[in-house]
This record gives sequence, C-alpha cells and structure tokens, in this order.
Amino acid sequence: MISVRGLTKRYGRTRAVDDLTFDVGAGKVTGFLGPNGAGKSTTMRMVLGLDRPTAGTATVDGRSYAGLPAPLRTVGALLDAGAVHPGRSGRAHLRIAARSNGLPLSRVDQVIAQVGLEKVAGRRIKGYSLGMRQRLGIAAALLGDPQTLLFDEPVNGLDLDGVRWIRGLFRSFADEGRTVLVSSHLMSEMQVVADRVVVIGRGRLIADAELDEMLRGLSGPRVRVRTARADDLADALTTGFSGRAAIERTGPDELEVTGLSAVEIGDAAYADGLPLHLLSEVEQSLEHAYLALTGESVEFHGAAASGAGR
Amino acid sequence: MTAGAVLVRTGTAEWHRIWSVRSSWILAGVTVLAVLGFGTLVGYSTSGDPSVASPGSTAWDGGQPTGMFALFGVLALAVVTTTADHGTGGIVPTLQWSPRRGVLLAARSGVVVATTTLLGVVAVSGASVMVWVFLPEFGLPVGDGAQVLGRLAFVFASGALLGSGVGLALRSTAGGLVTVIGLVLVLPLLLAQLGYSWSTTVAEHLLGSGALFLIYGEGPSDDMTTTSASLTLVVWAVSAVAVGGWRLVRTDATG
Repeated sequence: MISVRGLTKRYGRTRAVDDLTFDVGAGKVTGFLGPNGAGKSTTMRMVLGLDRPTAGTATVDGRSYAGLPAPLRTVGALLDAGAVHPGRSGRAHLRIAARSNGLPLSRVDQVIAQVGLEKVAGRRIKGYSLGMRQRLGIAAALLGDPQTLLFDEPVNGLDLDGVRWIRGLFRSFADEGRTVLVSSHLMSEMQVVADRVVVIGRGRLIADAELDEMLRGLSGPRVRVRTARADDLADALTTGFSGRAAIERTGPDELEVTGLSAVEIGDAAYADGLPLHLLSEVEQSLEHAYLALTGESVEFHGAAASGAGR
Repeated sequence: MTAGAVLVRTGTAEWHRIWSVRSSWILAGVTVLAVLGFGTLVGYSTSGDPSVASPGSTAWDGGQPTGMFALFGVLALAVVTTTADHGTGGIVPTLQWSPRRGVLLAARSGVVVATTTLLGVVAVSGASVMVWVFLPEFGLPVGDGAQVLGRLAFVFASGALLGSGVGLALRSTAGGLVTVIGLVLVLPLLLAQLGYSWSTTVAEHLLGSGALFLIYGEGPSDDMTTTSASLTLVVWAVSAVAVGGWRLVRTDATG
C-alpha cells in the first residue's frame, strides 16, 4: 500500500504539491489524474525518493522508499522511459538493475521475453522507438516481481497491441492483490483500466473515489431525448418535477436532461401526449467527470484555434 | 540486509554501468594509447643520447612524466562516467534501483577511483616498459617501480576523486571537464606566470601544482615539498567529493 500524508513540495514560491493526502490500496488499479502541471509526476518522484518533500511523508508498506534495501523487490516503477543511457543495450540496462538489487540475471531474460523485446535486447537503446523504450521501462519495473507498481503515462508510444497488453497486465496485477498506481492523461484509457481514481489539480487533492462512485456522483443520470415538441417537453419536465431536472437544449428537437431517469421522462411525455423519437440514457464518461472536477485547476490553457467551430 | 552487502551490490552495478557503454572504453583506450605513445617517444629520443638522463636513472624515471598524460585521462574518465547519468536522465532509474544515496556516493566514487587509478597505473607501467625497450640498460627494478607507481597511484586517485566530486556537483560533462582542466592545467600555469607573490602562493595550492610536483619534482615555487603537495591533493579531492556528495545526497535527482 502506498500512503501519502500531507505531502508538500515547494519550488520557491510555487507549490507543486500542496498538502496531499491519499492512500493507494492493494488489489486495485488506481488511476492518478490531473491536468498538466498538477503535480502528478512530482508526487510519484517523492514516493520514489527522487525528490525531497518540503513537508509530509510518502511510504510504501509503511516504509520510506529510500529505506528499502532491495527496492526493486518491493516497488517497480516507470517514470520516464527516455531517462536511460542511449549508448547502453537494453539487456545491459536491465542487468545493471538486477545487480544493484541482488536479483538473478536469469530474471533479465524472463522480463525481456515478458515485454516482447527479445529481438532488440542486445541493441543500443538509441535505436529504440518510444514504444520499445516504454516496454524496456516496464521490464525494469517488473524485474523484482514487486507487490507495488507505479507507472507514469505508461501507454505513451505503445501501439494498440501494446496498450491492450499493458491493460491486461495491470488487471492481472490487481487481481493478484498487488498495488497498482497509474498516472495518465488518457481518460478513455483510465475509464477502462482503473478501479479507483485520485484526481489532483494545482497540487491539491480534488477527488479520491471509486471510479463508479465518481461517475455516478458527478451529476446524476443524464438522458438524451428527441421530440418535435422539445419546448413543450422542457416545460412539462420543469413544472412536473419542481426544479429537479436540469435541461440543456442540444439540438432543434433534442434535449439532454440531468437529474431525471429515462422512465420518469418517458412517463411525463406520455402523460402530456408528446411523441418521443429518442429516449436514451447517456453513458457518463470519466472525461466529463474529470473536466468538471478540474476545470478550475488547469494551469496551462491553450488558445482556441482560429478556425474552431466552423 | 547489511549496509556492506548493499554497498557491494551497488558497487558491482556501478562497475557494469561504467563499462557497458562505448564512451568509457574509448576514453580508456585513448588514454592508454596516448601514454604509451609518449613513453615510446621518451624512450626513442633518450636512446639517441642516453647521457641526458640523470645518473642511476631507471626506465621508471623515463615513464614517470607520462603520468601527467595519464592524469588527464583519469580526470576525463572520472568526469564523464560521473556526469553521464545526469546528462542522459539515467540518474532517475539509478536512484530508483539504489535509493540510499550515501551508499551510491561511496560506490560510485569508489569504483571510479579504483578503475581510473588502475588504468593510470597500467598505462604508466606500459609507458615505462616502452622506455625500457629502447633503453634496456636502464633496467626496470621492482623497488623503484613500486615507489614511482605508488606515488602516481596517489595522484591518480586524488584526480579521480576531484573529477568525481566536480561531476557530481556540476552534473554537466562539459562544465566538469572545463572545471577540472582549469584547476589542474590552466590556472596553475597562468597564476605562476603572473609573477606576483600572491598568485604564486595560490598556484602552489592548486591540485595541478601538487600533481606536477609529485610527478616531475618541480612546482610553481621552491617552497613546495612532497608533504605539502600531497596535502594539497588530499584537500582538493576531499573537498570536491564533499561538495559533490552533498549535492547527490541532499538535493533532488535532476539532470
């Protein structure tokens, strides 16, 4: 289990991480989400003892990372796949890792096979694609067969096959009772793989919840309804449910209703004799939930493209 | 698990880290070739007129001056191997695998010192053999060899610690090389040439002057002794490792 308590990191006047507290439990894949500059990587670096916290603690199974005599046997991590010496071969890179933690060298070939790098393991890393470097980083993380795994943007550069493979890997680790923390900006990916999400913005905790709970709790059910008499239906729902319904006009004959179920809307339309051409529950997405939660916390906004909306 | 066991493991990993990249082999090869070449030149030129050598000289005395070439190789190898991790971002996985930074400092410095000192000693030994090939009458007595190589090993170890400490402190290969070349070659020469008493005093206390005295027996002032030169080397080496070690142990792992 990873425990973060009051973790704070300041760079001059900037608080990159601000009094962050959360736990990452075993047996689940925990997604670690936040906008660019939110402090995700800094938090992970502090968990791994790479950066010194200004205040607070980060422990793995109750111990600080720096106190672990053979850390690769306890924690496997991939932070930056590009942070390797390009002149070294992939196999040599992993052998150094194995030697530093007293792991048998036979384990190196096992993880090379596990990540599918057998054909290029003897080549220098400078010739690797981004996807190969990601796989090499994953191999290093798996080397000590650890109980806790941390990955920072692990699917970057992976092809579809690689994405599906790593998705299965996370799931199998969680099912084996291991602790898996994955940071990513790909919401669709996180929605597929995560059981729980920790969301931060501007270094502060915004949400820490089960994925289902987060999707449900955001704004209740949303229903898309299409009718030629959209204004009449909107009036009927507004008066009939005394303000419970939040109604958004999404097209000339289409509404999106939040706060009412499809059954309630269908019954209300039937009672008022309004013909419906579509009545469908909208699946809540993590992207919606994430944007709603982090809207105020995005530090770096892009300007709208000049042709946007044409 | 004891700290000693962790140190041995980390040291083994450091050894393989250094020798698993071509740049280390190239630097080591160039150093040995340059020193052997210089030794060959000394032997060849002296063989034309052996009377230029002091009476009682041995081939070790002919090989000893090549130690200055070897020292530059030692410094370059120490700086490059220490800074490579920071220049490539490799410090991130290194500290993930060896998070006890004091142990990493000891292992890294220890391996760099042992490796480069051995390299320097082997290179100078080879250069002395080349001198002996041209001047077999000079002989290669073991006792003299131990004395010369022992003194040079001390110079190389001090230089390696300086290079290692500067590399850890600056985390930049170019900056580290410029700094050690400045401290060992440029500043001692420049300050000694200025002719002021203060500049001579400062030059006398630079690592390059100490090394020069221990290798050639001369320095920027007549006040220098083997003890003062040795002390100068020790102070510079320990100070550099202290500063570099502080940066490694106390600050964030950055490039």
